[in-house]
Amino acid sequence: MKTILSKLSILLLLSIFIFSCKDEVKETTTAVHPLEGLIKLNEGYAAGAKVEVWGKKNYFQGYNNLSVVLLDSANTKDTLKDAHIHFLPYMTMPMMKHACPVENPGALAINGVFPGAISFVMPSMGGTWDLGIKVHNHKTGKGGTAMFSNITVDSPSSTVLKVFKTPANGVLVLSMLAPLTPKVGVNDIEFTIHKKLTELKWPADTTFTLAIEPTMPSMGHGSPNNVNPIHYKNGHYKGKVNFTMTGEWKIGIVLNNDTTIGTSANRYFNITL
Amino acid sequence: MYKSLVLGLLILTTFIVKGEKNSWKDTVSLKEVSVSVSVPLNNKEVVDFYRSNEFSTLDNMNARLEGLTLIKRGAYALEPQMNGFSGGQLNVTIDGMKMFGACTDKMDPVTSYIEPTNLKSIKLKSGTNCSEHGCNIGGSMDMSLQEPDEKGGDQTASISYGTESVSNSKNVLFSLGLNKEKWSWISDGVYRKTERYRAGNGLIIPFSQFEKTNLHSALKYSPNEISSLKADVLYDIARNVGYPALPMDVSLARGSLFALEYQRKAITQLKAKVYYNQVVHIMDDSQRDSLYLLKNKPVGKSDSVYMRMDMPGKSSTFGSYIQLMVPWGERNKLTLKADHYTNYSLAEMTMHMRYAGQAPEKPMYMQTWPAMLRNVSGVYAENSSYLTSNLMVSTNARLDYNIDQLDSEYGPEQFGIFNYNVEKVKTNVIKSINLSAQYHFETDLNLTATAGHSERMPTIGERMGFYLFNAYDGFDYIGNPNLMSEQSNFMKATFQVTKPTFKINISPSMSFLSDYIMGITDPGIPAMNFPAKGIRVYTNVPKAKLFSTDVQLMYTPTDYFTAFCLSKYTYGEINEGEAMPLMAPLKNVLALQYQKNGLQLQAECESALSQKRINILYGEQITPSFTVVNLKSSYEFSYSKLSFNTSAGVTNLFNKVYYEHLDIGRIYRPGRSVELYVKVGY
Ligand SMILES: [Cu+2]
Repeated sequence: MKTILSKLSILLLLSIFIFSCKDEVKETTTAVHPLEGLIKLNEGYAAGAKVEVWGKKNYFQGYNNLSVVLLDSANTKDTLKDAHIHFLPYMTMPMMKHACPVENPGALAINGVFPGAISFVMPSMGGTWDLGIKVHNHKTGKGGTAMFSNITVDSPSSTVLKVFKTPANGVLVLSMLAPLTPKVGVNDIEFTIHKKLTELKWPADTTFTLAIEPTMPSMGHGSPNNVNPIHYKNGHYKGKVNFTMTGEWKIGIVLNNDTTIGTSANRYFNITL
Repeated sequence: MYKSLVLGLLILTTFIVKGEKNSWKDTVSLKEVSVSVSVPLNNKEVVDFYRSNEFSTLDNMNARLEGLTLIKRGAYALEPQMNGFSGGQLNVTIDGMKMFGACTDKMDPVTSYIEPTNLKSIKLKSGTNCSEHGCNIGGSMDMSLQEPDEKGGDQTASISYGTESVSNSKNVLFSLGLNKEKWSWISDGVYRKTERYRAGNGLIIPFSQFEKTNLHSALKYSPNEISSLKADVLYDIARNVGYPALPMDVSLARGSLFALEYQRKAITQLKAKVYYNQVVHIMDDSQRDSLYLLKNKPVGKSDSVYMRMDMPGKSSTFGSYIQLMVPWGERNKLTLKADHYTNYSLAEMTMHMRYAGQAPEKPMYMQTWPAMLRNVSGVYAENSSYLTSNLMVSTNARLDYNIDQLDSEYGPEQFGIFNYNVEKVKTNVIKSINLSAQYHFETDLNLTATAGHSERMPTIGERMGFYLFNAYDGFDYIGNPNLMSEQSNFMKATFQVTKPTFKINISPSMSFLSDYIMGITDPGIPAMNFPAKGIRVYTNVPKAKLFSTDVQLMYTPTDYFTAFCLSKYTYGEINEGEAMPLMAPLKNVLALQYQKNGLQLQAECESALSQKRINILYGEQITPSFTVVNLKSSYEFSYSKLSFNTSAGVTNLFNKVYYEHLDIGRIYRPGRSVELYVKVGY
């Protein structure tokens, strides 16, 4: 009798713990190499330095995060930590020539690399893109430009950059930076806005108020409680976008200080989860 | 005096009261289901009376029990409602075992996985006084599975066949029993197949068909007179189940249950149980018109769209309990129980859409019940004590400790959208305490008064449900992770008169609810499902009230003749005087029975008043009154070693076109139907 009882109580206890126990996984943080997950897109020489351009993937129409690595030509094991770098993208088309918005890296390297960005406004199909990396080597005091001719700028499967003309502000470049890996739930959303002043001048614009309208076109519904992006630095606007399910979403964008823009059907990006 | 004491004990401790066996029933091995409610005229008489036919479903029987009404979504799997409470407000258990449906749209109440042939008894308790198997506020329904009977014959077997003309249904039932020394075994099961039924006006109700198979088997080992070990296996599978009131059907609903039980019946009684059950529920819209017209047509796309939804749900429960019953002193009985269960629930939805002339859209996926583990451990104590030979006082109390553990990222992520910061683990403690007193007067009058307080946990749908379409009010429902437990203060009085030819039972009850859980419209959130009118979020409404009363009368002027009458009435109110949705109007069932020498004739009249007290905001409309007449006859006889039972009947004799107030979608009930049934037993 007693043994049966004790066996039963063991079973009872077991049933309490079988489901409730779960291994707890401890998260560890390890130092990540700054070029981890990046590929080398170009390399060349300028101002006594070997210039390498690294990116997540090949150049594409959109906001490209690029990392420049400068290696001392005298000793290529040594990276240069102090230099001015200018991105000089240049597109030659049958009728015209133009540049595109850039974010030049700061003078001091971060973890040995110079991070910056270029928003290519067109893919290579319409013409030829050349990319110049102008380097002012603070170690040697020399200056020069590494030229990468006829680089390929891909057209991404889903558009992440739009160029459009507005009556009040002229031609604008709107790039969507995030979400890169959208998920069901709350996602950070980030845009940059640049203005085209001339064919070669594309400065960041910090004056807009943005509103986002995510919808699921196939179902005709939206999502609640989105946070409209607001400007935080250098023409970057950050907000929150909510996705209630996987599938194809359309993010409509209203630029508030240009009343005609919101009605235009072209102001949207597609995001697929 | 002694007699009344026994009666009081039977009623108050709500032991399962088995009806006396009629002499002509002794030859029938398929045991009858007995029902125990707090009525002197409870037990099997009620079920026998109200069983519309011998092969009736559990729903058919439940509809005729005290305090029970049914919410109907189709011909299959009606959802029990007790005194206005339903869903998570009721404890529905099988021999005290917890089991939960896997449908986000309440298409599969636990009762749909059980057949009357599986059952020995049904024990009902109302209000807060239902917490033997878990804290709850509305009531409990505990179904005891059929048990091997070691005192029965060496071998028993029976098979029966029944059919209903209105749905062309075919029902095959069987039951087997074997006894050998210390071992005994039974098996019972049902196969049912029905086609779409016809309403009183000749209309064939689309999507009202179903097909199901149910098997139950139990093996018992009794090494001596007092101890026994029992194993139960139950398997129930339904396919092609139509739900005329809903936008979807069910391609598969499968429940399986495994249980192991040890019992010791000495002066101190011990019962210990370990169990596991699993429910799989797969909704299907392949038979439905899946072409939708969208108002806001998307850019560059045609406006009609073909849409299919995959909506599988799964719920599995693992649990155990141990229970002791100890008599102490001369007049006391103490029951102690400790229990635990862990439930895992997950329901998913994937939508597949295709516009005319376009490539299919990318599948759209969400978790309508994000994967969650609910762990509940509880302790329960009950003491019944005879203060005098006429007065018995009973108290019980329970404490449940609950841990909800979200098992996927989808839960917190999906609710992040509504600005909730959902913790992966949430705990809380809920309690229940009840007191009841029964006084027996010398004048065949019994008075019982019960008062109690209890709480209940929000269900997973109420806490974490994500865009659940409710066909009743046409809204998408969203859970609320911060929902508090619902509480009730409950009072019930029972008046019982028991005369040799006349029995009467009146039992009014009142529940004062606080933090009542219901969906409240949130205009800030757009709806998701195509037919949805808007969004409702589960919210704790400060207060609500439910009043309910049942009157039962039984009159037996001669041995051959009985008249039985049952009236049920429920009144519900939310906030100050607002009508609570889903409240049935006054319903009355009157039955007359004549019974002699194996012949039984019965006429039954079922009627309900019109329900005009409705809540328009919750999609309600006035339901007209109706009266339906049913006839039934049966004859039992033996030939050599075989026993036969044949019956014939007509339900809805006058081919009435009607629906009840709790019938979602106001789908007409079946019209006139002729039923035939034959059973052979050995
Ligand atoms: Cu369902």
